[in-house]
Amino acid sequence: MSGRLKWVSLGAIALVFAGLYLRALDAPRPGGFVPPPAAARAGSSKPFYEAQLLPSSTQSVHSATAVELADGRLRAFWYGGTREGAPDVAVYTSVYSPKDGTWSAERAVMTRELAQRQLHRSIRKLGNPVAGRDRGGRLCLFFVSVSVGGWAGSAINLTTSEDEGETWSPPRRLVSSPFFNISTLVKGAPLLLSDGTIGLPAYHEFVGKFGELLRLDADGRVVGKTRMSWGDSSLQPVIVPRSESDAVAFMRYAGDPPGRVLVTRSSDAGEHWSTPEKTALPNPNAAVGGVLLAGGPLLLAFNNAEANRESLDLALSADFGASWRMARSLENESQPQRAPVAEYSYPWVMQDRAGNVHVLYTWGRSRIKHAVFNRAWLEGGR
Amino acid sequence: MSSALGIAGCVLLCLAVLAWALRLEKRAVRVRSAILAAAAVLLLAPLGGLPVAAYVRGAIGDPSAATLALAAGALFFRLTGRAAIEPGEARALLWAVVAAALFLYPFALGWTPYDPYALGYASPVFITVLLAATLAAWRAGLKLAVLVVLVGGLAYLAGAYESRNLWDYLIDPLAAIYALGALLAAGARTLVSQRRQRAPVV
Repeated sequence: MSGRLKWVSLGAIALVFAGLYLRALDAPRPGGFVPPPAAARAGSSKPFYEAQLLPSSTQSVHSATAVELADGRLRAFWYGGTREGAPDVAVYTSVYSPKDGTWSAERAVMTRELAQRQLHRSIRKLGNPVAGRDRGGRLCLFFVSVSVGGWAGSAINLTTSEDEGETWSPPRRLVSSPFFNISTLVKGAPLLLSDGTIGLPAYHEFVGKFGELLRLDADGRVVGKTRMSWGDSSLQPVIVPRSESDAVAFMRYAGDPPGRVLVTRSSDAGEHWSTPEKTALPNPNAAVGGVLLAGGPLLLAFNNAEANRESLDLALSADFGASWRMARSLENESQPQRAPVAEYSYPWVMQDRAGNVHVLYTWGRSRIKHAVFNRAWLEGGR
Repeated sequence: MSSALGIAGCVLLCLAVLAWALRLEKRAVRVRSAILAAAAVLLLAPLGGLPVAAYVRGAIGDPSAATLALAAGALFFRLTGRAAIEPGEARALLWAVVAAALFLYPFALGWTPYDPYALGYASPVFITVLLAATLAAWRAGLKLAVLVVLVGGLAYLAGAYESRNLWDYLIDPLAAIYALGALLAAGARTLVSQRRQRAPVV
């Protein structure tokens, strides 16, 4: 290196690293969790339960998610097409009106072609969507896309809506893995953190199967991540915060028998997570859904078997996941209307501002089913 | 903007691979330029509403500074017949890429609770280690390694790609696979040559 070039390059090193250190010093400390409100509206003390199938024009549907709109209605999303992984799979939406108890006609929000055009890269198929809100109140729809290979080749994308889901921004690719940015998927609900950033539970499926908490800035870019588990047997984390620092997360178990729902805990706002442990609840390598009910117990929806997804039950925990009691069964052999394919899976659980609990789930892979009930019904079971 | 830069990087990479596959340096200078110009046009031509290079981007993502430097060096050699990178410099970069990859990828794939990829989100520790390595490379006169860090660092600060992780601007799996392959091939060549020298003359 010539003398002059050597000193010029040293100056360049000084400048670039000054910039890198400034960026590091400027990075805000991660925010804490935002627990649910201490109490929801009282609602009716008379037990109430309703269930219906959502409208659907596609042969196959899966992986429902939902968010409450400003006017109290519910907007659901799911993916549907001729079969899982088919090129015609799109992310669909429909709106539920609690007033008249009906769902609107479905409409495609994101197709493979649109995602490909707006992301400026080839897209082979679309997968799991999850919905939430950012600090500005915009609806956020995260969805999985695959460019090469199977679900292990997935990446997460984010599109936002400023008009409660009527129109959507061009999607943005989230970068969360150094390995060709593949193998990151979503299933659990995003969390709005106290600093206005978003915590997005995600999981990997390539080589290992493990959960992570991604932190997204106000522009929806990944600016941090924490590993929630490792190895090859835990995925699809669902995080349930209790306070600004405490949260419990439940995960699908993909390891050796016996199949049990996994649990891990954080007491430092998601910076660290305990080693995942098996709960007493069975798990047939299937997703679970959970929520901390306002002012009350923790509710978990899960497939109550080790080998199949033929039953979908609800369990309650008064000690934040340490022990459980069975509350209700949403799907089992005694149900009058059974799906042609007895698979009831991927529950999405949420509580609306009126205090009612909504569970959306895949019904026989052919429809999305919506169950809505109140605390009186839930706690009046077994 | 990040899409345009990512696609441009993929075009450069594809041209380097094509130049290598066709052994372009063995052809007439005019033919080399014509082939590369035609290939660049083809890579940017729309196919199904996307430039052809966007399909490559769909598979490999946005190329890192290490990949771009190696691709640019290879392309320069195939185009001019002259080496843009001194062998010692290239070897040093390849070793650095392999070392970084062995630290990053196995852990990033979930084998332990530790995730070195998270260091790429503005970790002062990571930046300090990178600074020490860059100063060592500067002191040893390894221009290429210094250039890769500077280009990667600047691109990161400018938010040139979709990622906000410094690792993604420095290395990627393609650079790691290429570096590992090149070093193994060089090692094998050295071994064969040593055996030939030792073989008894009949």
